[in-house]
Amino acid sequence: MIKRIKIGTGSCGVAAGADEVFDFFSENIKDIELVEVGCIGHCYAEPIIEVETDKGSIFYEKVEPKKEFLEKILNLENSSRLQVGGNRTKKEFLKVTELAGKIDPVSYDEYKSNSGYNGLAKALLMKPEEVVEQVKISGLRGRGGGGFPTGLKWSFLAAQKDEEKVLICNADEGDPGAFMDRSMMESVPHQVMEGMLIAAHATGASSIFIYVRAEYPLAIKNLKIAIEDIIKYKINHINGRKIFIKIKEGAGAFVCGEETAMINSLEGKRGTPRFRPPFPTDKGYKGHPTLINNVETFANIPIILREGGTKYAKLGTKNSKGTKLFALAGDLKYSGLVEVPMGITIGEIVYEIGGAVKGEVKAVQIGGPSGGCIPAEHFDTPVDYDSLTSLGAIMGSGGLIVIGNNRCMVETARYFLDFTARESCGKCTFCRIGTTRMLETLERITAGDGCEEDITFLQDLGDKIKKGSLCGLGQTAPNPVISTIRYYKDEYLRHVNEKQCNALECNALVDVFIDKENCIECGLCIKNCPIDAISDDFIVDNSKCTRCNSCIEVCPKNTISRIPGGGISE
Amino acid sequence: MSKIKITIDGKNYTAEKGKTILSVAKEMGIEIPTLCYNEKISNSNSCFVCVVKDIKTGKFLPSCSATASDGMVIEASSPEVVDMRKTALNLLLSEHTGDCEAPCTIACPAQASVEEYVRAGKNGNHLEGLKIIKERIPLPISIGRVCPRFCEQDCRRNITDKDEPVAINDFKRLAADLHYEEYMEERPNLNGKKVAIVGGGPAGLSVAYFLRLQGVSSDIFEMMEKPGGMLRYGIPEYRLPKFLLDKEIAHFEKMGGIKIHCNKKLGEDIQLDDLKSKYDAVAITVGSWKPSSMRAEGEEHSVGGIHWLEKIASNNWQGENPGKTIVIGGGNTAMDCVRTAVRLGSKEVYCYYRRTEKEMPAEQIEIDEAREEGVIFKFLSAPVKVRIENGQKIITCNEMKLGEPDASGRRRPVPIPNSEYDIEADTIIAAIGQKTITPDGLKLNKWGDVDINTDNGQMDENVFSAGDCVSGPATVVEAVAGARIAALGILAFFKNEKYKKAYEINVSRGHWQSLKKDDLVFLNEPIVRSRQKLSYIPLEERKTTFKETTRTFTEEEIAKEGERCFECSCTAKSECKLKDYSEEYAAHPEAIQGAKRIFNYDTRHPEIILDRNKCIKCGACVKICKEVINKTLLGFVNRGFETNLATEFDAPLPDSCTECGACIPECPVGALDWRKKA
Repeated sequence: MIKRIKIGTGSCGVAAGADEVFDFFSENIKDIELVEVGCIGHCYAEPIIEVETDKGSIFYEKVEPKKEFLEKILNLENSSRLQVGGNRTKKEFLKVTELAGKIDPVSYDEYKSNSGYNGLAKALLMKPEEVVEQVKISGLRGRGGGGFPTGLKWSFLAAQKDEEKVLICNADEGDPGAFMDRSMMESVPHQVMEGMLIAAHATGASSIFIYVRAEYPLAIKNLKIAIEDIIKYKINHINGRKIFIKIKEGAGAFVCGEETAMINSLEGKRGTPRFRPPFPTDKGYKGHPTLINNVETFANIPIILREGGTKYAKLGTKNSKGTKLFALAGDLKYSGLVEVPMGITIGEIVYEIGGAVKGEVKAVQIGGPSGGCIPAEHFDTPVDYDSLTSLGAIMGSGGLIVIGNNRCMVETARYFLDFTARESCGKCTFCRIGTTRMLETLERITAGDGCEEDITFLQDLGDKIKKGSLCGLGQTAPNPVISTIRYYKDEYLRHVNEKQCNALECNALVDVFIDKENCIECGLCIKNCPIDAISDDFIVDNSKCTRCNSCIEVCPKNTISRIPGGGISE
Repeated sequence: MSKIKITIDGKNYTAEKGKTILSVAKEMGIEIPTLCYNEKISNSNSCFVCVVKDIKTGKFLPSCSATASDGMVIEASSPEVVDMRKTALNLLLSEHTGDCEAPCTIACPAQASVEEYVRAGKNGNHLEGLKIIKERIPLPISIGRVCPRFCEQDCRRNITDKDEPVAINDFKRLAADLHYEEYMEERPNLNGKKVAIVGGGPAGLSVAYFLRLQGVSSDIFEMMEKPGGMLRYGIPEYRLPKFLLDKEIAHFEKMGGIKIHCNKKLGEDIQLDDLKSKYDAVAITVGSWKPSSMRAEGEEHSVGGIHWLEKIASNNWQGENPGKTIVIGGGNTAMDCVRTAVRLGSKEVYCYYRRTEKEMPAEQIEIDEAREEGVIFKFLSAPVKVRIENGQKIITCNEMKLGEPDASGRRRPVPIPNSEYDIEADTIIAAIGQKTITPDGLKLNKWGDVDINTDNGQMDENVFSAGDCVSGPATVVEAVAGARIAALGILAFFKNEKYKKAYEINVSRGHWQSLKKDDLVFLNEPIVRSRQKLSYIPLEERKTTFKETTRTFTEEEIAKEGERCFECSCTAKSECKLKDYSEEYAAHPEAIQGAKRIFNYDTRHPEIILDRNKCIKCGACVKICKEVINKTLLGFVNRGFETNLATEFDAPLPDSCTECGACIPECPVGALDWRKKA
């Protein structure tokens, strides 16, 4: 018997059409409860519906707003059931995201009935320093990228005597392709809030700010509803004090995810980083001691309190405890949000969870634009803060992009640097001008105008930008370039010396060729070419061709291909 | 107050707790450069020019903001730190646009402060103008008349007014004509050092001049009857009247300590070895006096251009009518010869040149004036041989065509086969260049000129050299420029040092030929006015006498002409911290290349300019306005490379900024400055 039907209407689901499905289902289902829930992390299968029955849940994937589909679901048919790819079920470890996509995000009651606010209740029975101690014992490290021990950071704030101490939740998730924090705020806003309230108790903070990017309207909406309930049920009354809670919508500057820039932004100033020391825990928002933790970090706290630091610390490696969320994307079969235990290997994530094919993957980019690339030969590396750093990458906030063999590493580096160069706040000389000079050099190389000195220049300037920048953005911006030169120097050298792109990705270095032997002369390519670069006798004029790939995509016989070439002439 | 122990550059020091590394270093006498740091405002710590290395953590810190802590070991001047600073400066330079110095000054071989003396002339301060000119040009009467005007070739007025640059040289001419005799340089007492100068032409006189300004006396030995060299014996009277030259040269002896000894020829009347031992140093400035060969059979029937001119000069610009005259060559000497021939009464004067007018090395104005005076030009003609038949000189020429460009970039003339033709002439003058007659005992280069170290003009030991005998035949202003280097070389030699010009950078918006009108930015909207016209004596007088052909501009004309100057150079050129540090750290505007963002001057305020092209985003102005003045008239907008200084709501700065102006002196690069130049 069907108890209720849950539709994932997180942003990812909505993007795949979940709103239409919800509207259609609500019009056509009368007697079964229909609930909007967050995201369970299987992006490749959206929109997803969960049918709760007395015998357990059944998931349907790629649901369409159609009568036939609805009937299929109501009949609990076998087709279109969610096929969890690869070995994901075995390899994942749902701890922080246990409730995500399973409960109504904005229902206080539903959260509460799933052990919600038990962590806070437990914490309130403890002395603040005991709470800090539990967090220390848990071994939790900052999930925003830096990996600073959370308990230690809390103890700094707790030690401050200021009457006004401030907590900031960093929800300014800016890495392209990263959506861990958004998903948490949309799916389990109460869990994030509970973590913050526990922190307020542990550190004696009197105000909470949630700095969330304005591009996350659903996250903001759900947080607001959660906060209303918190105020309604006086959950924010801690130790006789009413904790002030405010959502601040960020205007979309990547750099405002850096903690001192975020403080400036909160204060109404230009979002640029400050020199540390003083650290925010000494002197932060408006001069008050301030603690900044990331969404995922706060979301871990209720669990630590519920199960105790010691138990929490059992999962993971020596220096990296618990689980980590990754936004898995790129050249793989099953993209999505995954939660894995620390210590899992990169290979397990890529092949067993992501379903990527061995031999077809060149590398992964971990840590977003600030991270570095790790080649497939190092995929047996365990995912923990220190191992990733030793390979020239960083844990980062959780972006994990799989790079297939068909990708050019120079172009990949250029892509990421293009992002950071634009997002530099423009304060420090090295970052402001240096990243642009590096980007120009990479553009020269991918255009076939580079020389070997350019590679040395990139390494030298990249090294200096890292040393001569005030904040994490500049200190990591050259990473994609430096790590690709480190592992794929041969590709760079081929670009500059032979003017060839191994992956045939750099347009300036390839030609388009029609294999006339297998061509059936259907004329689709000619019809689809936007600039008439293909002659009536099926020869591509490469001096005209813009390498848009339209012909390659429409050719029914796969006779058109990109080949090493002379490149686009002016 | 408690103390901390810190080590900077290997030196241990005890400092008060809580100070920055920058201030502790200052106490220790270790200088760290800063651009964005400013005591009046909170720290920006953004330029990273003040960077130092913390040895224990391996981190690079902005010393202006990092607190010195106990046990710190800091490198403030290690090669690694210097390299970081240099790169920071190179990056800043790579997006910095402007003109440190005006293109005219850069183009001037003597690096005279052109924009400044033009401004003085415009304002009627001709004595002040002369003073500025004479800092680099000791012969303003002559150069004001005969200079080929390198400055004008690079003048940006050429963009808006084709071929009408500011008439720069005429400012020199007027200033010198008005005040030459009354102006006397300040000069120290003689210090006992004495230099022998061989050759009393422009180079020799200039060496003496620059030495005298530093208290060194000299004896000039001149082989001719009178001093002046080519100015007297090569440049005709109608271009440079010799009474003016006499006045100009008389000044050198008036300075005290310079003695000119005429009729003293090296190797005959004086010996190099004697000079070397009797004097503290010797300067060889003997010029370039040997006419080049035409490499044509029968050349002996022709006369070398400078020899012919010298003969007439020695005869007070009188001589026989040369009859039908053919001058071979296309340079200024050839022009001097044809125009002198006209003045001696010849009714038929020809100039034969093997390329076309476009390739002629002579100044265009000389060519035009010669043509006005009736000279006939034959291009693409080269002499093959000269012979005498029945007492009549006959020159055989080949017709030429232009082939591929040669090393000089000009197209090489190639003979057309079987195109020979004969012309009769009474006088044939070969004015195709000169060579140096080098005295014995000198080190020569492969062109037969004196071989020197170009840094300091030194040939050997205490022998220095400058002028045409080093460069081959060149211009007066180049001789003067070389002479200054030799003088500085000698002065350094006296202190047992080797002179080398200090490293200098110049950021430039580009040569006018690469710019369009819209690329120009102006301090003030330029006046629309064509170049003042040179006035001439009547043509008949020009053709029959050696009177000076042109008149000096009037003060009124010069004032008007001065208003045409765009004033290209930076308002902050003498006080730019970016330039100073870039020179100290050997940074270069082209070391790191990339796109620059080009903006117009914001000239909406009547008295203040905002030049975003120069701004290095140090934020000093923003913070001065906010933190000191309590206003928010300035701020940054955009991100990354697009970061830019903006006014509040992009409105013009209010008029009240005139009274305040507090941000202006704090701008390290002149991006905010008063709209007026001194």
